[in-house]
Amino acid sequence: MTMDRLGTGIAWTALILVIAFLLLPIVVVIPVSFTESTVFRFPPEGFSLQWYGRIRNVDGLLGALWLSAQIAALSTATSLLLGTLCAIALVRGLVPGAAAITTFMVSPLMLPGLVLGIALLQTMREVGLRDAWWSLYLAHVVITLPFVMRTVLASLSLFDFAMVDAARTLGCSYPKALWRVLVPNILPGFISGALFAFIASFDNYPVSMFLVDVRTKTLPIQLLNYLEISPDPTLAAVSTVLIGLTVIVLILCDRLVGLRRMASI
Amino acid sequence: MTALGAPAPAAQAGASSAGHLVVTGTSKRFGAAVVLEDLSLSVAKGEFVSLLGPSGCGKTTLLRCIAGLLRPDAGRITVAGQDITALPAHRRNVGVVFQNYALFPHLTVAENIGFGLRAQGVSRAEAAPRVAEALALVRMGEHADKPVTSLSGGQQQRVAVARALVVRPSLLLLDEPFSALDRKLRETMQVELKHLLREVGITAIFVTHDQEEALVVSDRIAVMNSGRIEQLADPATLYGRPVSLYVLDFVGQSTRLAGRIVAVEDGVVTVETSLGPVRAPGRFAPGSRVAVAVRPEAVTLGEGVAGANRVSARVSEISFLGSRTQLHLDLPAEGEDRGVVELPRLPEGVQPGSRVTLAFREADTMVFPA
Amino acid sequence: MSATLAAPAAALPPLRRRLDPMALLALPGVAFLSVVFLLPLLLLLWSSIRGEGGFTVNGYVRVLGDAYYIGVIGNSLQLGLITTAGAFILGYPAAFALARARGYAQVVLFALVFLPLTVSIIVKSFGWGIVLRRDGILNWLMLNVGLIERPVRMIFTEGALYAGMINVFLPFMVLPIYSVVRMIDPRYGDAAATLGASPWYRFTRVTLPLTLPGVVAGASLVFSLAVAAYVTPSLLMGDRYMTMSMVMAKAFLNLRDWQLGGAMAAVLLAVAAMVVVGASLMQRRLARHGGAA
Repeated sequence: MTMDRLGTGIAWTALILVIAFLLLPIVVVIPVSFTESTVFRFPPEGFSLQWYGRIRNVDGLLGALWLSAQIAALSTATSLLLGTLCAIALVRGLVPGAAAITTFMVSPLMLPGLVLGIALLQTMREVGLRDAWWSLYLAHVVITLPFVMRTVLASLSLFDFAMVDAARTLGCSYPKALWRVLVPNILPGFISGALFAFIASFDNYPVSMFLVDVRTKTLPIQLLNYLEISPDPTLAAVSTVLIGLTVIVLILCDRLVGLRRMASI
Repeated sequence: MTALGAPAPAAQAGASSAGHLVVTGTSKRFGAAVVLEDLSLSVAKGEFVSLLGPSGCGKTTLLRCIAGLLRPDAGRITVAGQDITALPAHRRNVGVVFQNYALFPHLTVAENIGFGLRAQGVSRAEAAPRVAEALALVRMGEHADKPVTSLSGGQQQRVAVARALVVRPSLLLLDEPFSALDRKLRETMQVELKHLLREVGITAIFVTHDQEEALVVSDRIAVMNSGRIEQLADPATLYGRPVSLYVLDFVGQSTRLAGRIVAVEDGVVTVETSLGPVRAPGRFAPGSRVAVAVRPEAVTLGEGVAGANRVSARVSEISFLGSRTQLHLDLPAEGEDRGVVELPRLPEGVQPGSRVTLAFREADTMVFPA
Repeated sequence: MSATLAAPAAALPPLRRRLDPMALLALPGVAFLSVVFLLPLLLLLWSSIRGEGGFTVNGYVRVLGDAYYIGVIGNSLQLGLITTAGAFILGYPAAFALARARGYAQVVLFALVFLPLTVSIIVKSFGWGIVLRRDGILNWLMLNVGLIERPVRMIFTEGALYAGMINVFLPFMVLPIYSVVRMIDPRYGDAAATLGASPWYRFTRVTLPLTLPGVVAGASLVFSLAVAAYVTPSLLMGDRYMTMSMVMAKAFLNLRDWQLGGAMAAVLLAVAAMVVVGASLMQRRLARHGGAA
């Protein structure tokens, strides 16, 4: 009994520590963004919103944000299309070597990002594709596809296709049965796959760093550049905005599908 | 086989000092819900007792308290005279066969059976012959090195029983041990397990919600209702002389009619029911609301013996059950009246809609306060 | 009842048995990955063995024959191992508490573990820098508590690097273990207890073996991510602690030495492949031994 309680105590202490540790570097950014001074001294001195005002003035930051959002949204959409089609084929169709194809489709996840970036850089040069936007878009489809494949495959293989048959015997046409029964059931997988894919793309550094050019920079690249050149609390302000956006998206996702269903990364 | 020793039909659970397992005044609540309420139970050495009741009646909670997996809020539990209330599960030496068995999926059959011995510090060399013996006891010798996940339901149950028995527990608890098996296998395993446990000579407590199973495996049955034992008795008494409508309904079927006492004389009451007057032995004040009941096989069609109760009713449905035939009676839909009669064979001419006369002896008729 | 209804339906053969048009749906995705993923990878490996006059292993000789680069590989492996070990020690018990939490508490706790995964790695590394600075929160805290008298230099130390790495990759350890723990039937522990097993014996002989699939999944994920990490080590340590990823980035972006970068990439790829294959072999062994995986 007492040993049991000791174990439980250790587990809970560890969880509290883990959460505090995980949140620490995220939470400290917020007070620093409201400081009056130009350095990140702690505790922050005074209160001002000047660094938020400066976000607009930092060269290329808003452009980078827009580019990252574009790339993330478009590559996620493309992956959803390609990935869902492929997942349906793998689950429902008679695909020769289905297991091998499944492994292949999720394998970019296991690949070190830098290696993928270098490989793509080299190939794009060789092919003569010099346009950074298109390079980034194609690369990010590769990054996002495994996330979509995994979650959609998982929810499709859990789906009992007898339900579609049941809907058809109850008077639904085949497409209508799919829409009324299949789609609502795999929607959580769809949404969580899309969320993971979007985040993976939006936050990607090691692949993008090889594919950007002077005028086309994604947000992580631009942020890191800025951090290296002139580290000031503007970065804390940008980070706070990003954290806020993330929290909003997470709350939305929790309302839509429940966070725990999305946990099976 | 050992005599089916049916101890005197102890009307209510009472803590007897002679009991091997004695539970005294045990209570358990989860939040506001009282799951066990001042419950007492005494089980003799070598006896098989079933805890029978619907889900939520507290039977599994009682089992977990006896096993030491739950700590009761109040009360005392002793095994062979030793107070084990404060002992953690692993120091109690109480074997448990879990529902769905809880066999360790990462271990083989033999490793599962040997687990308890090894956990208690028995050396590998000493454990091996005892594991082999246990394997032989449940006729699983040739499966020793298989992963438990490859076994059928019946085989898994045997392994679970062997795993619990090999540590020579002073008491064996079985939580719905047959619920994972299909009907045919369940019937075989019930007899097999009963025989095996009798051979080992162990005291066993079964938890079940299946009254047929309880009737087959137990010497005595404790029918539980919301945290209390409603009646503890041998199967025949439980079936023939239930102490309440709850027990009547939970064990077996019956024809049951609500009514009011219209006459009282010398230990016999007359009850006015929707089918007419029915007489039964009992002591109630005139005018009280009661229910009379009679078991299906106590009823005959026609006039019956002299002095029998006779009522007339319409047959609504006939079910052929093989060795017997069941008639369902057409009774007013409101209230809790229902009618079931079982006959060895169906008389000619009786069909749904027929009006029949039912006869049953006064002594077979039971009266319960409504 | 429902079983008898469903059984004949399940026994019916699938509608399509001939050449399956549905299989064609897989084609666009497979084709895309073949061209934009597999082909570049093969080209990269090819370039690492392509010299002036055809085939050469010069790149590999330069990487594997040079004490400096061996040191870099060592650094990466060490970083991966320490990060994995640290994440395991913190994450394993935490995953248990997370899996055993109930109701609203679990949702909140889960969200708190999950949230850092979605926050940009740049933001986290930046925040970690603020924590560790000479005038940062950690020094401020320790000064006020009286633990130290003067601010301690923490940033750009190996300790800071390890802490930062564990911080970034910890959720990848917690979540797989959490999902395995959640699936374990608590009655296994009960069964072991009724068989006389002490809590410690229960943990080592039942709980730990049953959670191994989650540990293998988490550890292989964290290790392969940490060994290839680029952003966190370069922000927290810079050139003082060169990893394989940093050498690769330098080779391609600054030195334009494709042979060197390609060979280093191949080594990193080999490490990643070994981790993946090793993990899947272990998972298969665990699965064969029991049904837990």
